[in-house]
Order: sequence, then structure tokens, then C-alpha cells
Amino acid sequence: MKQERGESDPPTIVLPRMAAFPPPRLIAAFSDRVIANDLPALPDERRADVVAFAVRRIAGLPTFMRLGVGAVALAVGAAGRLVGPDRLVAVLAQRPILVVRDYVRLVRSLSYAYVWEHWPATAPDGSAGE
Amino acid sequence: MSDRAPAELPDHVDVLVIGSGAGGATTAAVLAEAGRDVLVVEEGAMVRQGDVVPFSLDQMDRQYRAGGVTAAIGRPSIAYTEGCCVGGGTEINSGLYRKPPAAVLDRWRRHHGVADLTEAALFDICDEVERDLSVQRMPGAAIGASEALRRGAERLGWANEEIPRWMTYTSADVSSGRRQSMSETYLPRATSAGAVLVSGHRVDRLVRRHDRAVAALVSDRAGRTSTVRFRDVFVCGGAIQSPALLQRSGLRHRIGRSLAIHPTVKLTARFDDALNVPDDVPVHQVTEFTPDLSFGGSASSPGLIALALSDHWSRFGDAIEEWRHLAIYYAAITGEGRGRVTAVPGLRDPVVTYRLTRRDAALLNRGLARLALVMLEAGATAVYPSFRNAPIVTARRDLATMQALFAITRVSVMTVHLCSTVPMGGDPARSATDSHGLVHGTQNIYVNDAALLPDAPGVNPQASVMAVAIRNARRFLDRAPS
Repeated sequence: MKQERGESDPPTIVLPRMAAFPPPRLIAAFSDRVIANDLPALPDERRADVVAFAVRRIAGLPTFMRLGVGAVALAVGAAGRLVGPDRLVAVLAQRPILVVRDYVRLVRSLSYAYVWEHWPATAPDGSAGE
Repeated sequence: MSDRAPAELPDHVDVLVIGSGAGGATTAAVLAEAGRDVLVVEEGAMVRQGDVVPFSLDQMDRQYRAGGVTAAIGRPSIAYTEGCCVGGGTEINSGLYRKPPAAVLDRWRRHHGVADLTEAALFDICDEVERDLSVQRMPGAAIGASEALRRGAERLGWANEEIPRWMTYTSADVSSGRRQSMSETYLPRATSAGAVLVSGHRVDRLVRRHDRAVAALVSDRAGRTSTVRFRDVFVCGGAIQSPALLQRSGLRHRIGRSLAIHPTVKLTARFDDALNVPDDVPVHQVTEFTPDLSFGGSASSPGLIALALSDHWSRFGDAIEEWRHLAIYYAAITGEGRGRVTAVPGLRDPVVTYRLTRRDAALLNRGLARLALVMLEAGATAVYPSFRNAPIVTARRDLATMQALFAITRVSVMTVHLCSTVPMGGDPARSATDSHGLVHGTQNIYVNDAALLPDAPGVNPQASVMAVAIRNARRFLDRAPS
């Protein structure tokens, strides 16, 4: 039967608390470097907007995709600490390896769609157009 | 039409309809108009036409599942989209209407043993749907990107046609069109006849007792739960969510094992004319090679153009500066491959996988090359295929290079047509439901959406979904008079 509810009632189902996985800071750091590598002239404040968008969308992925992206993000984060994030992203952008390729594509797709939807006059290098 | 606030979920209804898209809305209207006490539970939100820009990221945030970022895992992974809003996919798709081909109905009868699926009866329902949705051709000229597709096909002597849409127009200006989606048509009919529509609620599971479902566990976005009891239930959540719900409810027989899609590859074409219309889509399709292969046009906002060019940005990126001269087109095939939808305990969303066959990959390659040829014939000055390391095609001689460089693992494959995950049929060993959507082994659990279609119809499937859903709802009324 229907349960009586009030605004202050606690949830009766606790959904898996996985919204924080993958860690947003990992996604943000990687997205920031991908965008900086691909669109070097994109103004900083725009890049910050794009990164926030990518993080938000990745947090909303279906569970199994989020888990997959999370695993890759952890590995990429660890690799970035070893070789340096900029160098890693430069390599991945040119020669993405299998499982990482989809991660790079995801970030790139979200970022490009956001940039040109919001600022359609943006030049291919990211510089603000007229 | 209005939907109810969460606290107003009824305790008990005659019929629970889960989902409000092409299958759920029509089911609800037929049953409510027959006097049944109907509750429609929709997971997504109510978003009115005009509140969002069509094909924008904002629309994806508000009306698509997961913001439109969903994929079937495979090599390659295949991006797909699902509507998640009142009206479901009918609120976000291109609005193109194509009857199920007679050959497809014949296949469903002969190969899948679907009973009572006569062409005459189903096409009569299609006629009703066409009237109800004001299905019609454009009152004026189609947008430039559509004309380009038609022109290219004509020059090659290839069959093509303008596909009618469910739209009403107040003038010859095509921008005056208003989509006759479910939130504008069948859902208001249902609620006028007494059905209750509750949005923002997800059915987590059906509670079963022996061969009957007796209740649904429903949760809102805050995680608060309710239980709704019912006499009969129609699961209409679409080809991904319907099998997932049935599996979460302990039903597995032939469920989620035969996902069929229309795999699609795209290209971007540049023309001398500024033909881009960001918030509309072409209405022409090239039908020369149907049912195996068809060509059409896609939404081409600057954001989507950038996305289409992103596969090879270092070579294609410069084109974005002329986005007003660019339009995106697709080649869609009737895939031979199959996929799976699997609900995994503990995960909210199902795992979706899909495997293309070699024949599918070859057909996509051939399709992309033929589509590029259409574009060149239409006057395109450059064609940018959506795969990594693709060349820019500017003349016929480049097509061979393009085909040689094509590799299925490099291609961005996507689909917007998903079906067949709870297939109907006459043989319980090969189907999940009987010929009218009743899940095998149950007395009162019906499926009535794209999941039922025995295989991919090779055309935009919404008309097929609606006609089959209306047929089944009427059959239900005949079998279970109130």
C-alpha cells in the first residue's frame, strides 16, 4: 500500500552511493588537460565551464559506464602522476590505446559539443571568434 | 494535460502503464477511453514543447536518459539515445513517420509466428494514427540540407522520398510546425478519459505472486518509495528499460537477449550555400537500397557538427568555422548483429552490449561511401566521414581511399532505433511474449513498446510501435472485459 510521506521523511531506499565515483577531481583534471591540449587558445573561464559540464555529464552516466570510466580514470590519473599529466594527455590524444580511447573520446565529444553550442564562433584552436 | 504531484500516487489501479512514450501513451489512451482505471508512471519529467531548443544540450539534459550519453559496449561501442521524459522518444526524435513495410509484417508472421498480424488490420490502425498525429508532408520547401540529399539522389537516379512527419503547421513556413508527440496527442486523450499520469517516478520492480504481478515498487527522485497495486500491468519503458525491469522482477525467459538496432554511421558535408538549420532535420531519405541500407539527414547544430568532426579534429577542425555551410547525414543499416540488455543486481542501470557482424561492418563501409557519393553529386565541396584517420573527400576518386581506410573499430557508430529485447511471437521457445505482448508464463504482465518488435523493421519504428501497441491494447480489452 502507499506509504504516507512527508517532506522530512528519510528515504526508504538508499540507492548505491556511487555518484562520487569516478572522483570528480580526477575527471576534472583529465578533462582540463585534454581540452587544453586540443583547444589551446580556449579562454580559461570557458575551459572551466567546459570541464564542469564534462564532470556533470560523466557523473550522470549509466552505472556500468560510470564504473568503466572510473576504472580508466583511476589508471590514467596514476599514469599522469608518473609521467606528468600534460605529457600523458599529449600522447593519448595522438595515439590513444584501446580502453583509454573511449575515455578520451567521451571527454572530447562532450567538450566540443559544449564549446560550439555555447560559442559557435569559436575558432578550431579554441580562440574566441568574432 | 497535467501530471500529478508525487503524494497523489493511488494505492490501487485497474491497469498500471509503465512509461509514457509511443507504446505507453497509446496503451493508456485506448484503455482509459474504454473505461479502465489507468495510472501512467513516467520516470522522466514533463517538459513542454518550446521550453527547450530541439537537439540542444539543454534538451539532452532534460529529456534524454543520462543526458544522451549512453552506449552499448562492444567493438566498437555504439552510442544510443533514449528519451526519458513525459512522451518518451516521441518528444525528441525527428518526427518522421513510416508505416511498417508489408515485407516486414510478412516476416514477423512467417518467421516469428506472430498471429493476427494482418496487413489490412495493422494498416487500418496506421491510418488512425496518421489522422490522430496529423501526419503530413511539409507545406513548403524542405530545409536546404534536405533538398541537398534529394538533389544528390536524383542526379544518381536513386529512389528517394520526402518522409511525412507528425506535425501541424499554421502556415507554409515550415518553422511554424508543432510536433504532434505523445504529450500533445495520446496522453491528453488518456488523461481526459480519466487516466492519471505521474512523472518523475521510476518503477523499480514488480512484485509477483505465482504467475501474476500484484504490485509495483515505485521510487521518486529523492528515493522515497511507494507501492501501487494493480490488476494488470503494461510495461512500456522502451527496448532498454522494459527488459531491465522484467529482469529485476525475476523474469528472464528470452528477455533482453535479442537487442536489434539500426547501426548508423555519419558524415558531415560542406556546401557553398549556407544551408544549416540548427533546430530542424532533413525530411528526405534515400530509399534505393532499403531495407538493408538507407540515408537521411541528422540534426546539425554547431555543437553536433563539432562533435561529428571531432573524430579527426587535426584534419577536419578548420571546417567548423564554416558550420553554417555544413550539414550532417547518416547511413543506417538493418543490422544482423544482436545485443543484450542485462540487469545486474546492485546496479541501477542495465548493462547493454552489442556485437556487429562482419556483414554489418562491410555494409556500413559501403553505405558511408554511397552516402558520400550522394553528397558529391548534390554539390558538396568537401565530405568529412566520422571515423578516425578518415580522409577529406572532395571528389569521386577519394571514395576508394575512404573505403580502404575504413575500419569498424575506428568508426563512431550510433543508433536511435532500438527494439526486440522482449520479442513477441508464436513460439514460446523463441519469443518472450505471446503474439499480443503477454509475457510467457504470466497472466497479467504485458509489454507494449519497441521491445516487442520481433526484429528491426528497417524504417523509423515509431509508427510500427504505435500500431502494434494499439492492436495489443484492443486485444487486451477483448480478452479481459471489465
